Amino acid sequence: MGELLRRYRFLWLAIILLLATVILYSYNLRQKTATTFFERAVLTFAAPFQTSIDGIVDSTTGIWGNYLWLVDARKRNLELEQENRQMQSQLRQVQEVSLQNERLRKLLAFVDDLDRPALPAQVIGEDASNWARTIIIDKGTQAGLRNGLPVVAAQGVVGRIIKTAPASSRVLLVTDASSAVAALIQRTRTRGVARGRGDNLSVEYALRNADIQIGDLLVTSGMGGVFPKGLPLGLVESVEKDQFGLFQQVKAAPTIDFSLLEEVMVIVGEDQ
Amino acid sequence: MRSYLLYLFTGILFVLLQSSVLPLFFSPNWRPNLILILVLYLGLSENLSRALIAGLLLGAIQDSFCGPSLGLYVSVYLVIVLATRVLSEQLNIESPPLLLLLIAGGTLLQNLIVGFYLTILADDSPVLHILLPAIPQQLLTNMFFSTILLFFLLRFQRLFGYRSGLAGLIYQSKHHGT
Repeated sequence: MGELLRRYRFLWLAIILLLATVILYSYNLRQKTATTFFERAVLTFAAPFQTSIDGIVDSTTGIWGNYLWLVDARKRNLELEQENRQMQSQLRQVQEVSLQNERLRKLLAFVDDLDRPALPAQVIGEDASNWARTIIIDKGTQAGLRNGLPVVAAQGVVGRIIKTAPASSRVLLVTDASSAVAALIQRTRTRGVARGRGDNLSVEYALRNADIQIGDLLVTSGMGGVFPKGLPLGLVESVEKDQFGLFQQVKAAPTIDFSLLEEVMVIVGEDQ
Repeated sequence: MRSYLLYLFTGILFVLLQSSVLPLFFSPNWRPNLILILVLYLGLSENLSRALIAGLLLGAIQDSFCGPSLGLYVSVYLVIVLATRVLSEQLNIESPPLLLLLIAGGTLLQNLIVGFYLTILADDSPVLHILLPAIPQQLLTNMFFSTILLFFLLRFQRLFGYRSGLAGLIYQSKHHGT
């Protein structure tokens, strides 16, 4: 027996470790809403770096947009004066602030319509894989956030919080394959479940005889208790009906361009 | 201990790059998996126990930054480290094209295991619609970035000496002057 163990030591080690990791993963699958100590520690450690990187990127973009671009313009146009450059630079800064202001106003107006208390947050990171769709925001348990809270933007639903650390949280986007949101077609009130498919959404369990057309707005139904009712999820972009089957295949494009997402609102309270 | 800290630091640096910097320039399918490249390097260059521990640690770090559950990449990288060990004893890893092929193999294996776990254990089969079409882009990106990392690694090995490195890479550094 001892000889057998020694001879196949590598194989035994591999099998035991593999089983242990599979059990760890299976256990964590059942504890989806819980943030483990390790995850919290890593997120806490990484949050200041991510915030710094975000700040550096903003500054670099600002310098590039407000200074380097003008240096380049100066080369091409020698008669451009110093004062004019400064004015242009200031104007660009004002435009950037104005655009941000406009985005935040829209966001606030959207949240005002919801009639629920909400907390603004900045997107500071994205998922480290190509198949999962999550983002990291700069608010966490210190700001009163917890797992399961819905996250929205001015254009519609972003997702829900799945992991929290003191100063950051991870948000599962509605386009993630493991995300399923109770939805309905706004025009006909046809019910379904909006499931993420990476870049778009598929509406499952929409009955075959239901009237769904391209361009219809898909909104949250409020069932399930996570998202408030009536928030935009996507626009129907294709409808297919097989010869047989109870349901039709509906695909929708999200109302939000997640690659351009900068600010979000976390809905922290119940209906007022 | 120092080497673990180095790998931990490199892993966190790579995961920060993957989650905060690369998304500014690349869409998800064109983003390289730098941690996978690091794990493959570990599998080739370190002894088994060190490669296993560092691989598991890097998997846990990646899990903290992706997907909803801890443990997926821990298991994936364990399989990759073990497979790399078995392969490295059979193949001539001193050949750079073979190293790149190994990266390609690692990328395919990673996608295969992630797909398998998510479909079988997590009952998350729609993820295959995201994973499968992205494989060609992932292959190209990972091979491109690993070429760049390999180039820098060889440069640094030349600067800091050959004591702590992959045998094959030492050979390349000495004999090909890069």
